Amino acid sequence: MTAPAVSSPALEEVLARARELIGQWRDEDCGTPTVKDFCRYAAALNDGGYISRARALEADGRPVEAPALFLAATMSWEDGPPEDELRPDGLALRESPCTEGLPVRQVHGGQSVRLARPPVAGTRITATRAVVSARHKHGRSGEFVLLGVRTRFLSPDGDELTAVDETIVVLDATGGDR
Amino acid sequence: MTALAAGAECPPRRYAHTSVQLFRFSAVSWNAHRIHYDAAYAATEGFPDAVVQSTLHGEMLTRHALEWAGPGARLESVAWRNVATAVAGERLTWAATVSSVEGARVRLDARILKADGSECVTGTVEVTRAG
Repeated sequence: MTAPAVSSPALEEVLARARELIGQWRDEDCGTPTVKDFCRYAAALNDGGYISRARALEADGRPVEAPALFLAATMSWEDGPPEDELRPDGLALRESPCTEGLPVRQVHGGQSVRLARPPVAGTRITATRAVVSARHKHGRSGEFVLLGVRTRFLSPDGDELTAVDETIVVLDATGGDR
Repeated sequence: MTALAAGAECPPRRYAHTSVQLFRFSAVSWNAHRIHYDAAYAATEGFPDAVVQSTLHGEMLTRHALEWAGPGARLESVAWRNVATAVAGERLTWAATVSSVEGARVRLDARILKADGSECVTGTVEVTRAG
């Protein structure tokens, strides 16, 4: 079956860039999250119960596990960039793969998160991330590109903590109606 | 532990995300996408207000499932698809149905519904209940 033709030059370029990137894994240092990092995340979710439990465990010298989706929900582990390097929509290039300089916009299509072992405060975490798929689609809102991005979060001993598959919907910003 | 069987309906949970929460969640998750905290910018992309983050939807799918599963329940996996956009202040409902039970492990088909009953998010959540 022949795939429908891409009518948007910007989306055609996104597809071409993505296909070049597929399978190129890039490592990221997520740092060493602290109990405070976990508690601040929980506070944004109005989860006072987590904060009380985490601080009590910390006071007892016991391990403190992160909220279940802490790793998956954090969009970037990089230090920057400063504002003048962000796209007009506020996204950094790392968060908007294959779109640099193109008149496109993006929204998240969804995620699949598999938890193997919860990260514990004070443990260094690394991530490895790659574009794993790129598909051209037509939907209710018109034409778009669906990028698949996979991230594996690892403990210092190389064990997988969390694996995340996310889909990013890239739309043409010049003629879209979404 | 309460005996469970596939097909059991979980009691629905109703909630709304304030614009303050959307801002705080963007900040803590290092998500600078302006559609989530800048309503004027969101309007330029056709949204009626600041847009609820996909990962915040994932959190709500998960949190209500864990709350339903009871103290000590653990998340094994969650997957979701964004079907429609939700915005700040919008009244949402979490609803779920037990799709399978294997010992302590329970799989839910979960949804987030808009006020008119249409689907905003669909997904599955797998949790292990405490013994």
